[in-house]
Amino acid sequence: MILLQSQSRYLLQILTNRVQNIEKGVELDCHWVEFDDVRYHIQASIKNPHLLHLSVSLPTPPPETEFSGGLPFGAIEAIKAAYGSVVHILDPPRDGFNLTVKLNLSKLPSLEEMKQNLLVKIASVREVVMGAPLRVILKRLASRSVPPNVGVLVPLLHRPNESFFIVPQIEKVTVVFPMRFNDSIDTVLAASFLQEFVEARRTAGLNNAPACLWSSSPPNELKEAPEHALSANAGFVSFVISTRHVEGKKLDKTVWSLSTFHAYVNYHVKCSEGFMHTRMRRRVESLIQALDRAKLDENGGASQSKSFKRLSIEESRGNSYS
Amino acid sequence: MDPSTSRPAVVIDNGTGYTKMGFAGNVEPCFIAPTVVAVNESFITQPNRSSTKGSSSWLTQHSAGVMADLDFFIGEEAISKSRSSSTYSLTYPIKHGQVENWDAMERFWQQCIFNYLRCDPEDHYFLLTESPLTPPESREYTGEIMFETFNVPGLYIAVQPVLALAAGYTSSKCEMTGVVVDVGDGATHVVPVAEGYVIGSSIKSLPISGKDVTLFVQQLMRERGEHVPPEDSLEVARKIKETYCYTCADIVKEYNKHDKEPSKYVKQWRGIKPKTGAPYSCDVGYERFLGPEIFFNPEIYDKDFTTPLPAVIDRCIQSAPIDTRRALYKNIVLSGGSTMFKDFQRRLQRDTKKIVDARVLASSARHGSEVKAQPVEVNVVSHPIQRYAVWFGGSVLASTPEFFTACHTKAEYEEYGASICRTNPVFKGMY
Repeated sequence: MILLQSQSRYLLQILTNRVQNIEKGVELDCHWVEFDDVRYHIQASIKNPHLLHLSVSLPTPPPETEFSGGLPFGAIEAIKAAYGSVVHILDPPRDGFNLTVKLNLSKLPSLEEMKQNLLVKIASVREVVMGAPLRVILKRLASRSVPPNVGVLVPLLHRPNESFFIVPQIEKVTVVFPMRFNDSIDTVLAASFLQEFVEARRTAGLNNAPACLWSSSPPNELKEAPEHALSANAGFVSFVISTRHVEGKKLDKTVWSLSTFHAYVNYHVKCSEGFMHTRMRRRVESLIQALDRAKLDENGGASQSKSFKRLSIEESRGNSYS
Repeated sequence: MDPSTSRPAVVIDNGTGYTKMGFAGNVEPCFIAPTVVAVNESFITQPNRSSTKGSSSWLTQHSAGVMADLDFFIGEEAISKSRSSSTYSLTYPIKHGQVENWDAMERFWQQCIFNYLRCDPEDHYFLLTESPLTPPESREYTGEIMFETFNVPGLYIAVQPVLALAAGYTSSKCEMTGVVVDVGDGATHVVPVAEGYVIGSSIKSLPISGKDVTLFVQQLMRERGEHVPPEDSLEVARKIKETYCYTCADIVKEYNKHDKEPSKYVKQWRGIKPKTGAPYSCDVGYERFLGPEIFFNPEIYDKDFTTPLPAVIDRCIQSAPIDTRRALYKNIVLSGGSTMFKDFQRRLQRDTKKIVDARVLASSARHGSEVKAQPVEVNVVSHPIQRYAVWFGGSVLASTPEFFTACHTKAEYEEYGASICRTNPVFKGMY
């Protein structure tokens, strides 16, 4: 696995199981947490097996991001557009959550393929909700319309109390991520990973990828950003997204990759640590083998132990006489 | 306060056959996946061959190396991948309840965390399980991987049978004394626990486990000449074991039943040959009850080991301290996937009771009529969540607020090193 999938695996599993065994609707009450502190809660009763209540809580937004009614800008419209009549938003949401929706499984399309697609879409509810403001900006870019706020810095929710920044311009959008890590080893690995990332962009095969830059100090775009957003121990990464990256189906993918960039880097940092451990283990094993080879083998040991062998009386006499 | 203590802990129970993983506080694990890793071996041999070509191919070599550490699958995906293409080979990281291949295990955990549960390991406390006979070294190794690779804020390594006992915690009362009969895929242990303490010296192990049932079913079908493709026969035997096997009360009667009404008892198994794609079918007959029978009459399977499971349980309790024995007989708890056979609990209870009653009778005959022994209560407990009882116990334990104070923390690890995992933090300061 190189990229993180946009749909929550567990949610998809629950939904598919539910749809397949709709007649024996069992009681269901689970909660779980995903990376970046996104919490889910799903509940269903025996009485109405078609109805599921899904609640999602988002990470705590930093003060600079725009939130309306506990949700990112444009999220409600995005949910309505993506799911249609299957999903009904409940207001107010459940205690401790930002969004509660009622899923009505009896309204799923009857065609098997469309049904599956919609289930996957529901399972990626996180992308729809958290990526909503980013999607609005990128859509404007795709339609090549001049944004109303050219060159104005837009902070968007990324992780708990952290945001990333977007500068919409004509024909392109610049995205800047301040990267922060808790652990000192992770910080070092992430910084070098990101430099490699920029380096890899220069190879021939990736000419069409978005331009990518890394710097240890805040780039020019972040001049107007609040002070607390400018401390990043693993540097700043910026991408320049142009119209060709958001055409048609690419839009969803771009929105997902950008809004979970930190999780992506974190995953790969952990993978490289695991990889290093594998190499270290192999090295230790080969060294132990070398040590084992250097030990005297059984036959050699036997000849040595002979010198400690207790001599019988006759033999010792023979020795002393000689 | 540490924010990660407000999030539910991650509970992963790595068994030889299946891994159960999920979040504390839930009733069911999120995923139950086979503990298997499919690794792409072709990348590992490639760099050696291309190294002679000189520096021009460093990029391909480099990217091959980079890809190799991510090109693997776990669980059901691994099994289907290894079937469809020959570039992937399967490795089972756990054998007989002990981790054998740490590379594969680390990769398995990595996928569990990032691909299945999709959580950030830095955000959650972790509860892992181990078999009662795990050496401290491998516990240290587990701690090292968890703290170094995944940076978990806290870790607790629990003993499986204790968790299986804790699974019964909620149902009625807090009973932490009992014998746990843990029949997993790779190992069978009979573990007496008194007030939450494992009586280490009385642990008994059997060389017969779920895997042996599978092998026995496979052997029976092969000897009868059923047309199962050889490359698929182990997998088919496993499926047959899981769907059709049951425990009988008496073998001879069961043979008669099968012979009288074959239409009722003999089942059909249908499959598709993996190579040609042609469908085939085979009969499932006596192996339905003979498979689980190897726990009660091991001599039909293995001529070296002939002590039946009820006798092992009895011996285990007889070797425990005398004041705990009655309580132990009263609470024999089943756990593990291979105790799921129908009527397994009734058969085990009946056979154990028989042994105990015979002994009580013999001793009262010896003492004459002046000493009257109190009857010994034998009770084998089964619950509906037996298959993942250990996981459920972990979920219950990890959702208590005391759990977070009992964990090894990252700070302690950095201060003292991996040796902190050797001891259980619950008993810190007691010795």
